[in-house]
This record gives sequence, C-alpha cells and structure tokens, in this order.
Amino acid sequence: MSIVSRRLLLTGSLGAVAAGTLSRPYIANAAAGTATVWATQGFVPAEDEAFRKTVADYEKLSGNKIELSSMPFMALNQKSISALTSGDVPDLIFHDAPTTILPQNAWNDKLVDVSDVVETQKSKMTESSLLNSSFYNSVTKQRSYYLCCVKQGATPFHIWGDLVEKAGFKLSDVPKTWDKYWEFFKPVQTELRKLGSQYRKIYGIGLQITTVGPNDSTNLFNHFMIANGGKDIVTSDGKLHTADPAVRAAAEHSVNFMTGLYKDGFVPPEALSWNDADDNNGYHEKLFVMDFDGTLSTELASIKNEQAYWHEMVVMGLPNGNDGKPMPMQTGAGGGFIPKGAKNVAVAKDFMKYFMQPDVLNENLKGGLGRWVPPMVQIVKDDPFWLSSNDPFRKVYVEEGTLGPTIANYYGYNPAYGQVAAEQLWTQACAEVIKNGATVQAAVDKAFKRAEEIFAKVSFS
Amino acid sequence: MSATRAGSRRLHSKLHYRLQRYAVEAACMVLGFVIFVWSLTPIYNMWLIALDSHESIFSGSLYPMAPTLEAFRVVIYQDFWYLARFWHQFGNSFIVGLSVTFLTLLIGSLASFTIGRMRLRQGWLLTNAALMTYVIPASFLAIPMYRIMGIYDLSNHLSSVILALTTFATPYAIFIFSQYGKSIPMELDESARIDGANPMQVYLRIYLPLMAPALVAVGTYALLLAWNEYLYNFLLLSTPQSMTVAVALAQFLNSDESPWNFMMATAIIYSIPPILLYYGFRRYMAAGLTMGGVKG
Amino acid sequence: MSTTQQAVAIGRGLIGRRPVRRGWFGGVHGADYVWAIAFALPYAAIFLAFVVYPICFGIWMGSSLALYQELFSDPRYLMTVANTLIYVGIGVNLKLFVAFLLTGFFIRKSWWTKALLVVFILPWATPALPAYISIHWFLSGTWGLLNSALYDMFNIDGPIYLNDRWMGLSANIGAYIWKTLPFWTVILLAGRMSVPQELYEAAAVDGATGLRRFKHVTLPLMANLYLVCTLLDMVFALGDFNSTFFVSGGGPAMSTEVLATLGIRYAFTLGVPNLGVATVMSALPVLLPLVILLMRKLRMSEGQL
Repeated sequence: MSIVSRRLLLTGSLGAVAAGTLSRPYIANAAAGTATVWATQGFVPAEDEAFRKTVADYEKLSGNKIELSSMPFMALNQKSISALTSGDVPDLIFHDAPTTILPQNAWNDKLVDVSDVVETQKSKMTESSLLNSSFYNSVTKQRSYYLCCVKQGATPFHIWGDLVEKAGFKLSDVPKTWDKYWEFFKPVQTELRKLGSQYRKIYGIGLQITTVGPNDSTNLFNHFMIANGGKDIVTSDGKLHTADPAVRAAAEHSVNFMTGLYKDGFVPPEALSWNDADDNNGYHEKLFVMDFDGTLSTELASIKNEQAYWHEMVVMGLPNGNDGKPMPMQTGAGGGFIPKGAKNVAVAKDFMKYFMQPDVLNENLKGGLGRWVPPMVQIVKDDPFWLSSNDPFRKVYVEEGTLGPTIANYYGYNPAYGQVAAEQLWTQACAEVIKNGATVQAAVDKAFKRAEEIFAKVSFS
Repeated sequence: MSATRAGSRRLHSKLHYRLQRYAVEAACMVLGFVIFVWSLTPIYNMWLIALDSHESIFSGSLYPMAPTLEAFRVVIYQDFWYLARFWHQFGNSFIVGLSVTFLTLLIGSLASFTIGRMRLRQGWLLTNAALMTYVIPASFLAIPMYRIMGIYDLSNHLSSVILALTTFATPYAIFIFSQYGKSIPMELDESARIDGANPMQVYLRIYLPLMAPALVAVGTYALLLAWNEYLYNFLLLSTPQSMTVAVALAQFLNSDESPWNFMMATAIIYSIPPILLYYGFRRYMAAGLTMGGVKG
Repeated sequence: MSTTQQAVAIGRGLIGRRPVRRGWFGGVHGADYVWAIAFALPYAAIFLAFVVYPICFGIWMGSSLALYQELFSDPRYLMTVANTLIYVGIGVNLKLFVAFLLTGFFIRKSWWTKALLVVFILPWATPALPAYISIHWFLSGTWGLLNSALYDMFNIDGPIYLNDRWMGLSANIGAYIWKTLPFWTVILLAGRMSVPQELYEAAAVDGATGLRRFKHVTLPLMANLYLVCTLLDMVFALGDFNSTFFVSGGGPAMSTEVLATLGIRYAFTLGVPNLGVATVMSALPVLLPLVILLMRKLRMSEGQL
C-alpha cells in the first residue's frame, strides 16, 4: 500500500476546505490513509467510468487515496471468497449483487458492522433496500447492517416489440395478470412461425428454466411464487414456510405453469441448459420474443444499435398477480461491505458515507446509464432523469424498482436460502417434471423436503 | 521349374508387399484426414465467429457469410474496453510463460538428475514430496496459495504466479524426466566421470542433450500451462496491468453485449506464440539416442 | 537366444530391469554428494515454500467430519461420483490409448505427417475458456454449427445435445479428450522416439518387423511411461472443471456434474470453500491408491537401476 504524499494530503485538505461549502462533518475526523477497494466491473464501460469518477471525487475531497481494482462479477466472487477465507482482505468490497457472499459471511461474523454508515441515510432509503442490507450474525446473535446499499436492481420484462407487431398483435393488448401475460406470447410465436423460414426456429418465451448459471432461475421462480400468492415462503424472521398450504399451492401452480410452457413448445428446448450468457445471446439474436431478466443491461448493451434501442425493444413492468392485485417486485441491493481484518476500516467507512449521499449516489447511477436504480424515493422524484420519457425504458424500470411495491430478497432473511439457490432446487423440480416425467406434486415435494433439510441446519438461537 | 516357381513367388510377394504398403499409406491418409477434421472443427467454429460481424454471430451459417477482419483489427488496435491493455497483458503472458518454462525445466531436470542418475539415497523423499503436490487438485489449492503468497509478501507480483505455477508443473516434469532418463545408459555418465568431468558437466554435456525430446515435450507443457492458466493468474494478481491475456479473456463472460467475435479473435491471436515456439523447437524432439561410444 | 531377444534384454537392461544397478559407480560419495544435494535443493526449496503449507491447509480445510455428512446428504452427490468415475475412466484411458496408437502414426517420416503434427497441437495450444465455449456453441441445438450442418446438408433436425445427460457427458469427455490428447501424444511420442535405434535394427536382423517388432520391442519399453502417464492423467482429470463447466455447465439439471465442478460450485457459488475442498477430497479413497501405485512404480523401477 502506498503512502500518501504530504503534498497530496495538503492539496487534499485545501480542496476539502474549498469545496467545503456543504459541510461534511465526517471528513474532519478521517485520518489520511489509503484504502484498497475491489469493485465489480460494469457491464457497460459507462458504469466503470462512473465509479472511477466517484472515487476520484472522493479522493479530491477527502485527501484519502483509494487503490481500486475492478474485475468481472464471477471473478470478484471468487476473489472475495478467497480473501475472506484466507484472511487476506481488502478494505472494501463493492459488489453489485453480493447475495453469494454477504449472508454467509455475515452469519460467520466475518464482516464489519456498518450500521453507523447506514444510519446517515437510513431515513431516506426504501424499506426493501434496508432489509436487503441487514443480515443475521450468529456470533452476536442479532441482525445488523452489513451492506452499505447504493443501488438496487429490479427485473423487468424485455420484449421485442417489432416481433410482436409482425405477428399481428399489439402490446397494449397484453393481459394484466401474471399467467395470462406470459400466455399472450404463445400465439405470437405461432403467428411468427407462419411468416417464413427465417422464423422457423423462433420461440415466444425465453424462460430461464435452467439449472446452470447463478441466479436467473431462482429470481424467476421467486416472482412466479409472488404472483401466485407464495411470497411468504421465507419470512423476515428467517423461517421457511413450506408447510403453509398457500405456499405449496403457489409452488405447484408455478412449476406446473412453467413446465407447461416448456412442454407445449413455447420455450427454446435449449433453455434447460442455458448458462448465464446463453439467454442474453438468445435475446439479442431474437431467438425468442421476450424474457424476464434482471436490470436494463440487455438494453444498455445495445445502446449503440439505434434501431433496436429506440424502435424495437420494449421494457415492461410487472403485471398484477394472478389474484388481480398488484404484485411486488423483489429487488436486489448492491453496494459496499467491509471484511473484518481490513486494515483501514475508517477510510472504507468514510468512502461509503460519501457514496451513500443522495447526490453522489445519483450521479454515479446516472453515469452508469441507469442500469441500477436508486434506493431512495426522493432522488427519483427530484431528478427528472429517472422518470423522463426521453429514454424508452427507464421510467418503467424505476417504477418497478423504487416507486412501486417491492419486497426484499430472501437471502437476507436466512443464509440457507443461498444454498437453496445454489442447489437450484426450483428449476431442478421443473427439470424432474420435464425430463423424468415426475408429477408436479412429487417434484415440489422433493424440493420442499430438501429446502427443509437445508433450513434445518441453520438455527437462529 | 522350381526356379520359376520361386521367381513367381518372389514376384508375388513383391506385389503383395507393394499392395500392403499402398493400403497402409491409404489408411494413414484416412487417419490423417480424421485427425485434421477432429482437431480443427472447434477451431473452425472459433474462426467462424471471429470473422463474423457482431450481428451475424449466431446466424447458424456454415461458413462466414460476410467475412470481416474487424474483430482482429479491434484486438490489435486495442479498440474495445476489455482489450485496452491487450499488448501489455500479452507481454505479461510472455514473462510468466517463459519464466515458468525455464524454472520448471531447470528445477525438474536437476531434481530428476540427482534422483535418477546420481542416485541420491534420500532421492525417494523428493519423489514422494513431488507426488504430494497432486493430492489435492490445483484449483482447490487456490485459496491457501493466495494466503501464503500474502504471507511472503508477494501479492500482486508476477513472481507469485510464476512460483505457484512452477510448483505445480515441476513434479510432473520430474516424473517424466525420470522415465526418459532410464533410456540413457549409466555407462555414458560413468565414462564421462572417468574422463574427469564433474557432475555439473555431466549434467550439461551428457544428460541435457540426450534428454532433448523430453525437455521439448515438458517445456511445451509448462509453457502452455502458464500461458493459458486462469485461476492463479487471476487470484494472485489484483490489478489489470499485471494480468495475462488468459485472465482478460474471462472478462468477456461478464458482458451482456455478446462480444464473442472479439473474444474469439483474441483467443486465436493469443494461441499463436506457443505454436510458433513449439514449431521452432520441434526438431529437437526427434533427437533420439545415439549409442556411439558405449557397447552394452 | 535370438538376436531380438538379446537386443530386448539389452534394452531392458538399459531401462533398468537388471537388479544390480546402483547409480554412478555404486552410489555418490565425497564431493559428488555435495553436488547431489545442491541439485536437489531447488526443488526441495519449492516444496517447502509452496507445497507444504497449501497442502496442509487444504487438508485441514477439508477435514471436518460434518462437511462429509453434509456432502453425502446432497442428493446430487452420488450422481456426481458416478459421472466422475465415467469421466476419468473413459476420458483418461481412451485418450491415452488413442495417444499411444497415434505415436505410431506420427513417428512416420513423411512431410505431411510432420505438418499434421503442428495442426494436431492446436487444440492444446488454444486457451481453454474460448475453446470450450466454442464447443458449447458448436453443440447448440438451435443455431450451433453441428445442427446447422446437419440441416443444411442432410435436412435433419439434430437433437438438443446438451439437454440429455449422456450426450452431455459424452460431449464433456469428448471436449476434454480433444483438448488434452495432443499433450499426451507428444509425451508418448517423445518416449517412443527415444527407443534406441539399435534395438530396432537388432530386431530387424532377427526378422521381426511390423507387429512383432512392436510387440517385442516398442511395447515393453514404453509400458512404464504409459502407466505413469495414465496415473498422472487420472490425477489431472479429477481436478479438471473447465470442460464440464463450459461445455455442458453441469446440466441439464446438474446431471453431468463432476466432483471438480461440484466442488467449485460449493466453494464459489455457495461461498463455502471448505465444502468445496471436501468434495474433491472425498475422491481420495480412489485417488490415494493411484498415487501410492505411482509412487511404488517410480520407486521400484528406480531401485532396480
């Protein structure tokens, strides 16, 4: 770690004074130091740029130095886990979707409690983002904040509007309840295939019914559960409710519906073994008409393709649940967390306090082209960027992630859900039905039993 | 009469022999063709994607419909954000690759020389120690290796990767060298010693030249291991400047843009140096043994 | 004794089947001893510095009994073990057998054989990640090269290969063999090339050519190397997760997972590295006999020199 030169320190403090029109009390106390920060590489260059700018701004204002390494998502997982296991940790890890790392390591008391950082902005944040930032620590035997949330992700529908039109349908006609919404795309496929050999292999629905790939399938299934009244499968006290008949009914209905779509031929058969990149590839190549995938990265990746971005792609939010009532979106939170054993916790916390300020956070997310939404309602209301109709997708996405009803992810409630996701229990159940001809009840039974086994190993007392 | 029968038999067997040779030759050509197709098919697929423009990657055509060298241009001119430091990382790959090769060959051959030729009585300790390295697959030793490099204060230095990879390649080198070493008669060494050579000279003048085929084979193995290795390069090095291209390739999986043509072009360009190196050293493989000075 | 048998006996003697051998003049002493130790030092240093701690730490990571209980309670574990046995069994043995046969092909002196060897090396030289992804796409049911070719040339709609456990497993094994066959062929080829020419000449004098020559000269002399390569490759194959990870992804429905990919999944997707290490260490009951066999093979043949 490099030593901050005296000159830098001096100019830094002068800069702080000069820019200190907005008094930031915490800077006065931070000793000059260097923090090692690992961050996720963005999916588009703009995200990286925005992050580097935030870091540079902080360095100027505080006189502290940040040694930044950014790396791809999977790589950051591997590296963070290696660091946390071996004890050789950086000061701050900045992750877009730390559901693999946070629950387990918070449980094992390997992370630094950041409640003091979260407190500074707590009143402004949405309930889901706060819940997504809190985890149970089995050593201190209480829940606390371990993540400093600066962004949220939601899952919209991505649709090729031009294909829908070609098939002779109008997206404005799409039904407003969950199951019927998905079924709308069945005749789209049928009609498209009649149109010629180039649509020979087109499919209506890009359902990620796969057991490969990290989280898409679990996220998908969770929303099916929510739509069918099973959102309380795991409650905020960490308990699993597989015994609840409503939850069971929801699970059975979901598995039945999803496998039905597949068996009726409206989902690419390949989907059973899609890896993380395959469904994105498929969408870009218009191999299917729609899918349900996290964040706007799919659209932003095509931002240079004017035809696609402005005229063909459509993003839609959630319809109502099958009971006709609005269904909440399950959001994920991203931000910074501090491993125990970090050498410079003070600077790490200082940086996060800086980052979590609404205007800083907002600038960063805007720089990242709005792939992630702010965890604070006020920002969205105040800054016209978020709800402007200049961009075809942002408004819908923001309404889904920040303004609309949201619930937190299950990982924060109980780390055992992480294992459920890693074992791909739900799509395994679907695969049992599809490949092994199991009945829906038997498949759900098996999945529930395994989930119960997993949850039984984790006790909160 | 017997003469003509013998004559015709000779003629018959000559013909038979010729036919046999043609048949073998034909069979070999078929085999050669199979090998050719087998080896190149996935690589052809890579070329197919590399030569496609960004839009037509998944069109499902059998040959590039509108081949373009755009992807290669992007790689060479570093025109894509994942490739911004391509040549620098390429240089890192060379440093790591050549160092690991050199160290593996040096340490491995010295060790197998002392175990197999000089017959050090405690040699078996080294052999067993080498085997211990393979008890747990390398991919699972990444975390403790990361820890120990931290302890030695080598984190984020290229030398940590070089040493880690040498550690994994050397035992293999020792085993293969000791197998080859058995075909070199001990008499050669002993006659050299009688002539007054010290062990180092025996090692340099007799052992190494005769081991040439093994050195090339194991050297290529070590080079390719270091050249294409991902996990340790990535875990032990934190900054993009210190990474090798093998690590940079993994970034492409992170993207939603599907920049597969760039990725394949990168991979193709990246596989050229080891092949050139192999081609350059190939003739040493056929060195074989000369039995000149020794009659067994 | 026929000339061939005499030649083979000499050959075997060179390889060290005579029990009398003891190294230079019967063993090192004096100044030589210092040299011997000096030559051994570099590897010893590497071992002490970089092997002892990681291996011990690794073993410690995988040593809690609870881990194995958890492992065995995972419904996919047994299937994974079965897959691994098939993967290693076929992947290693088929490959080495083919490699051995190919040495006969590549040892020929024709120019195009030599040129072909460079092409043959390509799979080995290509980085694993893009190569395996290329194979994954090649096998894609909807737009992969294989099915496109089948459709364009024969009008057949090929199946979705990676949706079937056995096709997926075969694809993984095939990909692994594709990638690593050149490596072992080169090693065995170098071994074959170092069979002394005189032995072949002696055999030819005796009238043993072709198959008989192969059986009595080449085969016995390469047997040891072949065995060592097989055993080593089994160790390598056990730890290989790239091929399964990128070709079939362990799918469909995790039916093609091998211990290495399952371990990596536990270590990095689930975030419990101890369980990951335990997964591969659960292969020790099979791996350890292999390692011991290898040890004895190496030691035995050395002791005879």
